[in-house]
Amino acid sequence: MLSRVVLSAAATAAPSLKNAAFLGPGVLQATRTFHTEQPHLAPVPPLPEYGGKVRHGLIPEEFFQYLYPKTGVTGPYVLGTGLILYALSKEIYVITGETITGLAVIGLYIFGVKKFGPSVAAFADKLNEQKLAQLEEAKQASIKQIQDAVDMEKAQQALVQKRHYLFDVQRNNIALALEVTYRERLHRVYKEVKNRLDYHISVQNMMRRKEQEHMINWVEKHVVQSISAQQEKETIAKCIADLKLLAKKAQAQPVM
Amino acid sequence: MNQNLFASFNIPAILGIPLVILIIMLPATFITPTNNLINNRFSSLQQWLIQLMLKQMMITHSTKGRTWSLMLMALITFIALNNLLGLTPYAFTPTTQLSMNLGMAIPLWAATVLMGLRFKTKLALAHFLPQGTPVPLIPMLIIIETISLFIQPVALAVRLTANITAGHLLMHLLGDTTLTLMSIYLSSSTITIIIIILLITLELGVALIQAYVFTLLVSLYLHDNS
Repeated sequence: MLSRVVLSAAATAAPSLKNAAFLGPGVLQATRTFHTEQPHLAPVPPLPEYGGKVRHGLIPEEFFQYLYPKTGVTGPYVLGTGLILYALSKEIYVITGETITGLAVIGLYIFGVKKFGPSVAAFADKLNEQKLAQLEEAKQASIKQIQDAVDMEKAQQALVQKRHYLFDVQRNNIALALEVTYRERLHRVYKEVKNRLDYHISVQNMMRRKEQEHMINWVEKHVVQSISAQQEKETIAKCIADLKLLAKKAQAQPVM
Repeated sequence: MNQNLFASFNIPAILGIPLVILIIMLPATFITPTNNLINNRFSSLQQWLIQLMLKQMMITHSTKGRTWSLMLMALITFIALNNLLGLTPYAFTPTTQLSMNLGMAIPLWAATVLMGLRFKTKLALAHFLPQGTPVPLIPMLIIIETISLFIQPVALAVRLTANITAGHLLMHLLGDTTLTLMSIYLSSSTITIIIIILLITLELGVALIQAYVFTLLVSLYLHDNS
């Protein structure tokens, strides 16, 4: 609307602009920009944690504060009493059977609230707390899981650093095994060769022994053959004579 | 004293404009849905209550029956809140009007019956004949079962109306008695006050129980016919 005023003033000032007045609102709307600021729904303003303070469960505290400068502490109470008495005495509020029932209901309600209020409030708080605890537990479990994964990863990395010990031991083992196998084979070769050589030696020994025996037998045979019967008789008679002499010597000796 | 005892059951009107629509819409303003995870105590308690009722009532139904969950939860909340709000002094209780209760009972009951007849015709018709009846009794039994079927919505509505109306009437009567007795014989009026207190406690129970019974029976009809 202001734009029309401006444009009509401009039209009177400069007659060439008179026809521009028709374009006025359109121009203004075209030049008005939208969405220049953030939308105001975010950040969401935080909810107040506690409700406003009330006195006697009905009247806000601000009312008492409002009347305090003029009427002090008892002001609102006097006002309330006066209003009630006015309503009663002028029969604006008529006391009927409903009044009694109403008083009984309100009395019962106040009794109920005073008696069960805190426990119900604690129950409601517990409900909320349970929800939060569930989520918190999920969060903690997730954190713990990730932490455990990180720790295990670190441990694995540390183990990887020490892998070379394993390789050294394995290398040593293999070298020892190779050495043992080599020596074993060497020993076997030695044994085989010695076996063959011993065979030849024993063959030679046997041959020599056989030759010796054969020679002895041959010599004995010929000696025995060469002893004639006469020589044998003489030898036997000499032996008997020697034996007799020896017997005599032997007899003689123990007597002494 | 009012014109007569039933004046409190008249539909409230200002200058001839009936206010009953506003009164019926009032309990809905006490249910505050939120999108937060953690609400204030009031909302948390409401949420917990509705979850409790839901679990208790819909657990016996099949998947098809559970599509009625919203309807039944809204029903029980509506009836319970209306009954409870009617206990405050000078309040008008919509559920004392037979018209409203019939308006709630007949469509719901009819919906369950029609659903049963449409999807499970044989099973729904089989409800008319209990198992193991002797053959000569069958015709009479079918007539009786049909009558009992058609009485169901009427029974639902009249049960609710009668209970709430009776309770309110008793409270008015006793209130008037106490007022009159106060000027005659004070101590008996204290006895009547005590009786009123006991009656109010009963009324609280009745209010909640009637809501529960209404919804339970509808859910029962649904279960039979789902």
